[in-house]
Amino acid sequence: MRKRVIYLLGTQLWRDAFRSKVMQVALGLMIFLLVFSAYSGWENYHDQNYSRDLIQDEVQESWENNPDKHPHRMAHYGSFALRLKHVLSAFDLGMENFVGNAVFLEAHKQNTVNFSEASMSTGLLRFGEVSLAMLLKVIVPLLIFYLGFATIARERENGTLKLLIGQGIKRKEITFGKWLGLFGLSMIFLFSIFIVVFSFVLIESHGGLFADSVLRFVVLFVSYALFFAILSAITILVSALSKTAKGALVKLLGIWLLFVIIVPKSLQAMGYYLYPTPSKIEMETSVEHDLIQQGDSHNPDDPHFKALKDSVLLVHQVDKVEDLPFNYGGFIMAQGEKLSTTIYNKHEERLYQVYQKQNDLERYSAFVNPYTAIKNLSMAFSGTDFRSFLHFKAKAEAYRYHLAQEMNQLQMDLIPNMVKAGPEVISNSYWKEFPPFEYSFLTVSTVVQNENISILALVLWGLLALLGLSRMSTNLKAI
Amino acid sequence: MYSLLFKSFFRTKIFLISLVLLVTVGVISILIGKQYLVKQEKAIIAAQAFQEESIARNIEYHNDDLGLLLYYLRFTLIKQPSNLGAISIGQSDVNPLLQAVTIRGLEGQKYDTDFENPSLLMSGNLDLGFVIIYLFPLVIIAMTFNLYSEEKELGTWRILAAQTSGRAQFLLKKLGVRILFVFGVLIFLFLLAGGILSISINQNFWAILLQSILYVFFWSILCLFIVSFQKNSSFNALALISTWVILTILIPATVNNYVLNRYQVPEALEAMVEQRDGYHEKWDLEKDATMTVFFEAYPQYKEYPVPEDEFSWIWYYGMQHAGDLTAEDTSMEMMEKIMLRNKVSEKVALFIPTMHTQLSFNSLAGTDMVSHLDFLKNLTEFHEGLRLNFYPKVFDKNQADSINWKMHSAKFYKTSSGFSWATLLLPLFLMVSLIGILTLVNLRKL
Repeated sequence: MRKRVIYLLGTQLWRDAFRSKVMQVALGLMIFLLVFSAYSGWENYHDQNYSRDLIQDEVQESWENNPDKHPHRMAHYGSFALRLKHVLSAFDLGMENFVGNAVFLEAHKQNTVNFSEASMSTGLLRFGEVSLAMLLKVIVPLLIFYLGFATIARERENGTLKLLIGQGIKRKEITFGKWLGLFGLSMIFLFSIFIVVFSFVLIESHGGLFADSVLRFVVLFVSYALFFAILSAITILVSALSKTAKGALVKLLGIWLLFVIIVPKSLQAMGYYLYPTPSKIEMETSVEHDLIQQGDSHNPDDPHFKALKDSVLLVHQVDKVEDLPFNYGGFIMAQGEKLSTTIYNKHEERLYQVYQKQNDLERYSAFVNPYTAIKNLSMAFSGTDFRSFLHFKAKAEAYRYHLAQEMNQLQMDLIPNMVKAGPEVISNSYWKEFPPFEYSFLTVSTVVQNENISILALVLWGLLALLGLSRMSTNLKAI
Repeated sequence: MYSLLFKSFFRTKIFLISLVLLVTVGVISILIGKQYLVKQEKAIIAAQAFQEESIARNIEYHNDDLGLLLYYLRFTLIKQPSNLGAISIGQSDVNPLLQAVTIRGLEGQKYDTDFENPSLLMSGNLDLGFVIIYLFPLVIIAMTFNLYSEEKELGTWRILAAQTSGRAQFLLKKLGVRILFVFGVLIFLFLLAGGILSISINQNFWAILLQSILYVFFWSILCLFIVSFQKNSSFNALALISTWVILTILIPATVNNYVLNRYQVPEALEAMVEQRDGYHEKWDLEKDATMTVFFEAYPQYKEYPVPEDEFSWIWYYGMQHAGDLTAEDTSMEMMEKIMLRNKVSEKVALFIPTMHTQLSFNSLAGTDMVSHLDFLKNLTEFHEGLRLNFYPKVFDKNQADSINWKMHSAKFYKTSSGFSWATLLLPLFLMVSLIGILTLVNLRKL
């Protein structure tokens, strides 16, 4: 293969593209969409995080300003965890708007994460959302197909392909030259969008997040570049295999519709159909059943709590709970919290496993559908996938548990037991000592682990594309 | 003539692909609708059982203390599901079907969500509405983009032109055959849905059907309009798919982004904090601070004594209610903003057939935002009804078994959805007429 020839063929494709109306219209549309989605993505990220930050601080302030009181009052006073957006959510919205944003953390109870944007939206949300990543995932592939469907097929229709070969240009050079040209065109879109994204990363570089964000940025850039390389190869292959340019176009449009719109949605729906999930009330019922079976703190004759009492009395060698050296009420609540949390988490874990099964059907389809690979990968590295949400949820739950148990401990240590005399309140300095809720994003290495399927699928697709192009080079029909 | 057109159409590959695609995905969508109904039914049964059981169990422990008993008991309000919802699931997957609330502060319970897989929420439900709004246009495009250009490219157009008197008529007939087929599939799917989902045939059902027919008609006319420019097949395919992308993806998504950003709702988070603080701060204040507010809202309870130095349920539930009152204004603002989002979306939708069809499907099926807000309003009334019923009994220190608990089973609430035929059908009708006229003008040049 001669580099010069490949380069020549590539630039020729560029020149043709920029002369065509399709490219002019596409560029105009893309510029509008880029400006709009960059603006709305950034504004959304910035405004939401701003108001959430503000409220999170407010929450901490009011927590610390509570006067002296009984620690169990503080356990009920509780706290809130507000989900912060990753800066790259301005690039890929992912599930951002479909997961909750705030959760009330109190003793005895795991509350749902509420106020997702979806719960405050009209039915329009189902048409999807415009984001920079959506342009790259949905619109640019279509443009690549538009710009590339005719490349080889039309040359053959016009008879110029025969001429090229006749002039001594190798078939390999033709396919790779055309591919390079098309891939180069797609890089225009990729670069312009990623320059915008990089400026987002730079602006939000404070607080040690910079290295993490840059790493995510680089992975995203490389993945999208690979994705476009694969799509360009598919376009060239379809064009080379089709008798007419029209045939190539129809095939490519079919591929786009099937792989971007119909298949992902159908597989997700199938997953839902195959693995039904319980409603909240059903899960709550079974949690309560388990709880009553294992230990019902409301029931004075409950065997679990009775055994617990006996063992505590034995350890401290006293006859009555009144004689214990700590607040027995606090002790029982700590045990109850431990029990109920374990049971709740077990049920929740089971629910998420079903979700995972529902999602896996689509996730594994990445091996036949490169769009799925890039979709999941892009969400994950933008911090807007389901795992990122679960990470937040786990952090919030850990904080809740810690808060409840810390207050129980304070009650055990500082509040007099049963009928004994003493203060029923403790100093508010204890509230000030309790650290605020702080959220950190998943580490990049965890994200890589979560997305190993998507990464593997994308790499395999890359190899397949390369193989396809070189096989095609030997079999390309001139007429 | 028609029989020949039908025959040649039935022989095309695209006919077979369209038929298989529409029927398969259509049937899947109906099955998904069925599953959605089953899930709702199961949730309702579970909620009813839950309430009955938990009342029975808790009375056992807290018979002497009605105030404490009611601290625990949850009462369910269920939105009576309509089977039509299975055709257009809309927002009913995000918004819960039922809410089980205690008589404590409502604000902290009102917005609790149900569990749903966010991946599914994101990809959206594959309901019959989706099939109609997204897939039918694609099939129509696939069958019509080369309506004219195919004859031209195959060289048959000249022969046809010589043999038929009206060339435009010929194209219209050719289109008619295809539309008839699409309508056939549409009606078939509706019949199937009606049977499998046991949908009651009421006004809303007819409205959805009529709207669907108009929508399919809109796309047919639009395709004919593009075809009437007599460009080649590739151009038509490009133009039509681009139109589809713009109408079903880009414009609705852009409008959605705009609406979400333009009307942000930080009030939701603020109200949440306000309610908690409004309630909890009362613990540290004089009892009067609570009781003044409470008696202002409910003067009928002024006569009940509030002991100064000890805990009393009137004070406790007064504090709980004070939390709701603190958050009331912010909460109202939040509702207004959400309504505003809806209003703006609906207005824009009048000009965009895809959006208009989706929103009116949801509203006819009772799965839209408005119907959820209506549910929340009813929940507030339901909650107040419960409180006013229980307050005097708690304050009078009644025994729990003096209450007829059979009366307190899960309650249903029925949505009342009125709609105007004009707003429903006129936008699409006008658009079809307009494009129809432009197309006829173009076809005269044929």
